[in-house]
Amino acid sequence: MLIEQSAYANRWRKVSPAAKGLFSLCGFVAAFAAARPEAALLIAALVALSTIAGAGVSPGHYLRVALPALAFLALGCISLAFSLDLNAATGAIALQFAPDGLDKLAAVGARSLGALAALLFLALTTPLIDLVALLRRLKAPEALLEIMVLCYRMLFVFSDAVHDTLTAQSARLGYATPRLAMRSLGGLAANLTLQVWERAHALHVAAQARNNDGPLRFLEPRFEQTTRAVGIAAMAGSGLIALAFGLR
Amino acid sequence: MTLAIANRWTEALLALEQVGFSYPDGSIGLADCSLSILRGSRNALIGANGSGKTTVFQHTNGLLRPQAGEVRYAGQAIDYSRGGLRRLRSKVGMVFQNPDRQLFSASVLEDVSFGPFNLGLDSTTVRDRVAAALQAVGMSAFADKAVHHLSFGQKKRVCIAGVLAMEPELLVLDEPMAGLDYRMQEELLAVLDGLHARGITLLLATHDIDFAYRWADQIHLMRAGSCTASLDAVHLAEYAGELSAQGLPLPAVIPLQHGLTARGLLSREQRPRSCAELLAVLEGGQSAAGARP
Repeated sequence: MLIEQSAYANRWRKVSPAAKGLFSLCGFVAAFAAARPEAALLIAALVALSTIAGAGVSPGHYLRVALPALAFLALGCISLAFSLDLNAATGAIALQFAPDGLDKLAAVGARSLGALAALLFLALTTPLIDLVALLRRLKAPEALLEIMVLCYRMLFVFSDAVHDTLTAQSARLGYATPRLAMRSLGGLAANLTLQVWERAHALHVAAQARNNDGPLRFLEPRFEQTTRAVGIAAMAGSGLIALAFGLR
Repeated sequence: MTLAIANRWTEALLALEQVGFSYPDGSIGLADCSLSILRGSRNALIGANGSGKTTVFQHTNGLLRPQAGEVRYAGQAIDYSRGGLRRLRSKVGMVFQNPDRQLFSASVLEDVSFGPFNLGLDSTTVRDRVAAALQAVGMSAFADKAVHHLSFGQKKRVCIAGVLAMEPELLVLDEPMAGLDYRMQEELLAVLDGLHARGITLLLATHDIDFAYRWADQIHLMRAGSCTASLDAVHLAEYAGELSAQGLPLPAVIPLQHGLTARGLLSREQRPRSCAELLAVLEGGQSAAGARP
């Protein structure tokens, strides 16, 4: 929901998703192409800065969204720094500090940070509906896009349904004891399964009522000054890539 | 069963003739149900839960096919072939009770464009129609908003826009006022009046007898899968028995009007359809009585 909020409320909401997508893609490429960890870190910082200072996503918000990914990254990096050593003589397995671990850690960690920043840039500035429209322009497979559209829409319908059912169960002491909680949770799952089934049927009927006979077609949103925005994004993106190759 | 409006049959836009329908689980949806909707009229379908209102609606749009009797549109029996249903559904628009069951896309603009694209229109025409439909329901400012950020009443209006963009002749709304607060109801009413002024025939289901009396030209009473009476709304007072069989009272303004007539404060010809109209009559605006605003 945090991502959703800022995707709709940032300063660059009206900027063409093609431009934002391009800049994000360049960020990815630059992060992976970066020869040195310092370069990748610099790219991560620049992309994060453009998200916060440029698009106006609040730093607190940004950090909260990034935190789970950062924690995951930290765990992954720690495991890189150590290696398992099998002692052939005794057959014992020992955990030891890998000799080249730190270098690897720095390289992978910095690149991942760069990629994360690039992904967050796109996610925090562009609503999914704009992204789907962009993918449609890029001729992504229709079936995939339809699934994306329906899943995204249903996500909110079902989060409401889960919330309502949970509240109704809690109001009747459904979660008063662990035993009751297990029972209620089972009930919730069963109820939701039926609802999914019902909703799918209802949507099918609603689609028929509006004359649908197969593919879901929608109007694409229009963005002003797309060429200019894409131009600027291309220049900024090339700058990032140049930086990646330049800092050796 | 004799229909009060049988003599105006030629004007009927949509007619159910002795339609029977049972659901696969054996429950009866419609039994010998006949009713007709006149072109350009405002119709309210009144009946208790389970009386067959939704089943009637699904027949108007060809979502259900009668097992007995027939449904006629503009005098022609409905053709249930692919092409025939396509033609019917481009003329009969249907707005479901729960907007979350109708809205497909997470974007308002996209969802409203869904129907017109299904009609095979090109992007430019669709864009114009979407803009006009959103304008008609007062939602133009919300075109690029996400559906899940809208209130219930706003979602309902997007649903109506989604159907309006297909430019139907007959708009069918399943309990459009359900779940709306007073202000949203008034706003929706203004939207419906605007559509009626554009010549769109309206059919809606409601439990609110006061609203039906105030708003509709024609009222159809449903009971046990059958339409027990179709009447001009002004004659509703004569159907007190039928209403009470459904557990419904007469609209509050009717006993009030009768009481005032008995005391000589109101003439017999004056039939205000709402308390506001009655008040206008009593305050001297005699011309308001009988005439609709």
